[in-house]
Amino acid sequence: QTTGLKRLAVAENPHERLRILYTKILGVLENIPKEAAYRKYTEQIVNERFDLVKKETDVQKLQDKLNSGQIEEVIVQAENELSLARKMIQWKPWEPLVEEPPSDQWRWPI
Amino acid sequence: TVRPKNEVEQKQLCAFGEYVAEILPKYIQQVQVTCYNELELLIHPDGIIPVLTFLRDHTNAQFKSLADLTAVDVPSRQYRFEIVYNLLSLRFNSRIRVKTYTDELTPIDSAVSVHKAANWYEREVWDMYGVFFANHPDLRRILTDYGFEGHPFRKDFPLSGYVEV
Repeated sequence: QTTGLKRLAVAENPHERLRILYTKILGVLENIPKEAAYRKYTEQIVNERFDLVKKETDVQKLQDKLNSGQIEEVIVQAENELSLARKMIQWKPWEPLVEEPPSDQWRWPI
Repeated sequence: TVRPKNEVEQKQLCAFGEYVAEILPKYIQQVQVTCYNELELLIHPDGIIPVLTFLRDHTNAQFKSLADLTAVDVPSRQYRFEIVYNLLSLRFNSRIRVKTYTDELTPIDSAVSVHKAANWYEREVWDMYGVFFANHPDLRRILTDYGFEGHPFRKDFPLSGYVEV
């Protein structure tokens, strides 16, 4: 039993782990204002994946339905998304533009 | 012969560019797709780390690989250096370019905390152009000689240099 990838151990009980991670992400997203596009799209992605995880109990079929590599990779991706959501709360990227560039900055050819 | 236009890929890149611009309006100043199907995001320099972490961690944009980090010198502009990051997504097999600007004295946040690969690339940009990276673990010369003065890739540095060899 091996993932075939280096430094990624086989995950026992991946459904439980994914359930915990997705509930944590949704909890973190509650702290972002509702109109932010990041919250909308991330909630959409997380809810889709969460529904698939809840419905499908077989690991192999779940991997095929998610179509995103091995289950362990899906777990890693969910952990990344969680850390990103926590950082987004500090950075607040949904606010309007910080500063306009000088008018000739992005003109090409000069 | 003329390179055939791939309309489907163009549309997908445009859609993805609009998606990213909608999520990060605070830092993205412009989004463009070249005719050769290359997506470019033009960023304010404060937003490098947020944008790079977003592109690395978000599920719809897993750009885990930093392929290149360079700078372009355009002396006629107010912010003469343009820092360019090329990212590659292995999951979705697509590339993206992130561009920022700075002048000679303003430091830029180091991308090492996001992509370890940026270490030597930033040392090279410091050595060749003189762009200082804040929070870099070890910023020193990498390609020029030990006592070398000046930044060779700048447009006002002469071709045969200042010192006779």
